[in-house]
Amino acid sequence: MRANQAYPGENKWKGWLYLLPGLLIYLAFTFYPILETVRTSFYEWNGFSAQRTWVGLQNYQMVFSDAQFTSAFLHNLVFILFYCVLPVFIGLLLASVLSRRALPGMTFFRTVLFLPQVISMVVVGVIWRWIFNPQFGPLNILLNALGLSGLTRAWLGDFALALPAVGSIGTWVQYGFCMILFLAGMQHISEEYYEASSLDGANAFQQFVHITIPGLRAEIGVALVTTIIAALRVFDLVYVTTRGGPGNATLVVGFLIYRSAFQQNRIGYASAIATLLMLMILAVSLLIRRLQTGNEEESA
Amino acid sequence: MKRIRFSVAILLVFAFILGACQGGSKPTETQAPAEETTLVVWDQFYRDVESQVMDTLNAEFEAAHPGVKIERVVKTLDDLKVTLKLALTEANGPDVAQVNQGRSDMGAMVEAGLLLPLDSYLTKYNWSSVFSTSVASRNSFTPDGKTFGQGNLYGVSPTAEVVGVYYNKTMFKKYGWEVPQTFEEFDALLAKIKESGETPISFGSLDGWNAIHEFSAIQHLLVSLDYINNLTYGVNNVSFKTDENIKAARILQEWAKSGYFSEGYAGIGYDDSNALFKAGQGAMTITGSWLAGELINDTDQEFGFFLMPPFEGKTALAIGGVGIPFAIRSTTTKADLAAEYLNWMISPRAAELWAKAGMLPAMALPEGAEIETDNLFGDTLKAWDTINKGNAVGHYIDWATPTFYDTLVAELQKLLGSISTPEDFVSAVQKDYEAYLNK
Amino acid sequence: MNGRVKNLVPRYLLLVFFSFMVLLPISGLFLGAFKTDTQLIQGPFSLPQTWNLDNFRQAWFTGRFNIFFKNSVIVSIAVVAASVFLSVLTGYAFGLLPLPGKRWLFPLILLGYMVPFEAVIIPLYHFLDLLGLRDSYWALILPQIGLSVSFGTLWMTSFFENAPRDLVDAAAMDGCSRWQTLWRVLWPLAKPSVTTLVVLIFMWTWNEFLLALVLIQDETLRTLPVGLAFFQGKYTANIPLLAAGALIVALPTVIVYILFQRFFIRGMLGGAVKG
Repeated sequence: MRANQAYPGENKWKGWLYLLPGLLIYLAFTFYPILETVRTSFYEWNGFSAQRTWVGLQNYQMVFSDAQFTSAFLHNLVFILFYCVLPVFIGLLLASVLSRRALPGMTFFRTVLFLPQVISMVVVGVIWRWIFNPQFGPLNILLNALGLSGLTRAWLGDFALALPAVGSIGTWVQYGFCMILFLAGMQHISEEYYEASSLDGANAFQQFVHITIPGLRAEIGVALVTTIIAALRVFDLVYVTTRGGPGNATLVVGFLIYRSAFQQNRIGYASAIATLLMLMILAVSLLIRRLQTGNEEESA
Repeated sequence: MKRIRFSVAILLVFAFILGACQGGSKPTETQAPAEETTLVVWDQFYRDVESQVMDTLNAEFEAAHPGVKIERVVKTLDDLKVTLKLALTEANGPDVAQVNQGRSDMGAMVEAGLLLPLDSYLTKYNWSSVFSTSVASRNSFTPDGKTFGQGNLYGVSPTAEVVGVYYNKTMFKKYGWEVPQTFEEFDALLAKIKESGETPISFGSLDGWNAIHEFSAIQHLLVSLDYINNLTYGVNNVSFKTDENIKAARILQEWAKSGYFSEGYAGIGYDDSNALFKAGQGAMTITGSWLAGELINDTDQEFGFFLMPPFEGKTALAIGGVGIPFAIRSTTTKADLAAEYLNWMISPRAAELWAKAGMLPAMALPEGAEIETDNLFGDTLKAWDTINKGNAVGHYIDWATPTFYDTLVAELQKLLGSISTPEDFVSAVQKDYEAYLNK
Repeated sequence: MNGRVKNLVPRYLLLVFFSFMVLLPISGLFLGAFKTDTQLIQGPFSLPQTWNLDNFRQAWFTGRFNIFFKNSVIVSIAVVAASVFLSVLTGYAFGLLPLPGKRWLFPLILLGYMVPFEAVIIPLYHFLDLLGLRDSYWALILPQIGLSVSFGTLWMTSFFENAPRDLVDAAAMDGCSRWQTLWRVLWPLAKPSVTTLVVLIFMWTWNEFLLALVLIQDETLRTLPVGLAFFQGKYTANIPLLAAGALIVALPTVIVYILFQRFFIRGMLGGAVKG
């Protein structure tokens, strides 16, 4: 990020004047609670009694020796596949199909594909719980109708399949978002590149790899940051569909925080997990930003 | 000049927000006449029929106490669990609220000094004639919040609950099945129903909590009242790792393996399994008396209710107890009025209204109350009466430790899915229980 | 010509497939909202026997969705108006104005976009209580402005950073103040980006759940998603009623998106997202 120069005679603090109103509200109602959460992670506290006990790093020790945290974290990593890798892949595929040559009816498809992003996750969860219902859910009904009764499952209750099932809801929500993002980016890639490479005898796939993907570097970066963060902080979907079950097969970090804080009154412990989650999310986004700006400087 | 325009723009935006905010009227802010007292009550009777009972009771209370206004706030149980603890720390929090029993709610609130001990009112209103000591202990804690089941009384419950077996009478008639009298007959009936091609037990374990009832209903047939009391109240150092619990777990796992539960039960939620049962898919379902009201309307099937039958030659307990009690905030300035309200909530009139709404009242019905009992509600009433008089009211075991609910749900789902053995199951649960006792 | 058509068929097939995947679940919800419990089980995509609005009526009146709806509208409009205005200012400051401390300020603000919200809810509760703002619209509006400004700053900064510098400098040469440059020169260019931001923030605010659940006790101040949670109580809920409620919650965001999607996509195209 470059520094902006003040014009001659202009106060160099001028930017602060514009920054301050937004910054103050942000500091008071978002940043201060973040600090307070970090502070609370060093205490044992039930969240409502006046008494807090300083316990140092004990909450963190408990987190790291808690097998539930480890498995929850692993589940979040699996969710990255579903929230990030698959949607980016599908998004690229769709965007490559949609753009460049205008297809009749494109607006309709664009509108439809983005729809899941618009709907509350509580609503999304309600819908998919019904779809996965083993008895009257459309998925098993469809499989039966296709003569594939052997493939029907108790999806959300199946120890092996619950995690991929919930994850695929994430894919459903995210792929339209990725597509629109890439579509936006592809409008900036000059048609000349494609024409030139056509003359060189490159096929559509080669063009995609050598022109489209590099041209979408920035958009892919945004998609990665957004979807990975979504995968790491997933909560509402698990809350509505499985509540972490069966067993702990779909337990994720976000739900563990909620469960510890609101069902078990362990605010200090929940704050420690929350602090770790924040740090992880921060690390991921900084890493991706770093990689991206590195690339940009290289290619510039 | 530009500066001024800048600030004006900001002011306009904030004025807009401010205006918007004042648009919503808050009833608390309207000044009441000096002689009028407002009692703020939080309850979780949000479903249609229940809510109407509460509105009626509140209106009658207001009529009987001129100058008193009830400000009712309705919440779902989940919502109540999240918000109530914090609200009770407020100087203007609810005067009366429904507080869920068990350690993570009532226990934690007692420990933090948020609830008023009701013992003086117990004497004043002679509540011991309304409910037994066994019922009172479910709403009792020692003042430090550590020991459950004894010490001070912190709440009074208007409704009662019993977990038993609903059966589809229409289907039973069609196949000529009889209501089983012993557990052995019950088990044999399950096999027979399975053979006929029907689903023996409509069940869904996706939500988790009702799996606890499924297991514990069998457990209650095997253990003694002392054991279940000790376990729930965390006294006398009992263990979860007992032969009875292993046996109950094994029976449950056998049922799952034998296909006695709804197909794909692991992926079905509680509400969905009930909807299936109501639609005639499933001969029986094991759940609480609260479902009775739901099964009466909008269905062409006829349903009945019986208690889980005892093992041959044994006496049986049943999961049950009283509903979520009303409690008083310790810092309220209207304690006497609040107690008067509590007394009204457990009056014969309240019992009558609850019964008419198809819910089991915790109190005796008044003489001559006209309530139809030749139906499903009558069955649940009879069941409650049987265990209440027979001193056979068990417990929801998930009250035992703050983490017991989550542990039981996760471990039962593993047990049902044959991921773990009955022995693994009791060991894992015992680990949670021990960790709590040693704390 | 032949090759062109051959090319089109697989494209359309792919599009139709993925659109179908989106529409199928949503139409199931839509149909379900008109059914009764018993009808729902009979088949997911069977048409309801009658198109009765009973479920909606029950959600709207008995479920008090009418009150929640009003609250959601008030909170959303206030949050969108304030955060978009403030984000334009902060984004302008970061993108084009001299701003000492910019290097550490930007990550500081970005942090708010990344924080999991269930983690900050308890401190927020006590802080708002201290200010006497809990249990008011402010309790929902202020934190969500803070949160939205965080994303809005990111969004608008990328717009202003990529705004044509020549134009900005030319405006300055012509004697425009920074304030005038913003509203006279840049604002018309920013409109698509701003429209996108409006839709995004509206969507997030409308769908926010946890804040409204914890910070609001007064039933008359609740928002729609919390109202929806009312149907998912501990014991029994009515699935078609839930579907009707879900539809009421989802409809406004869907309508806003469909109305604005032309601007929305143009906004994304023009905004040239640079992380």
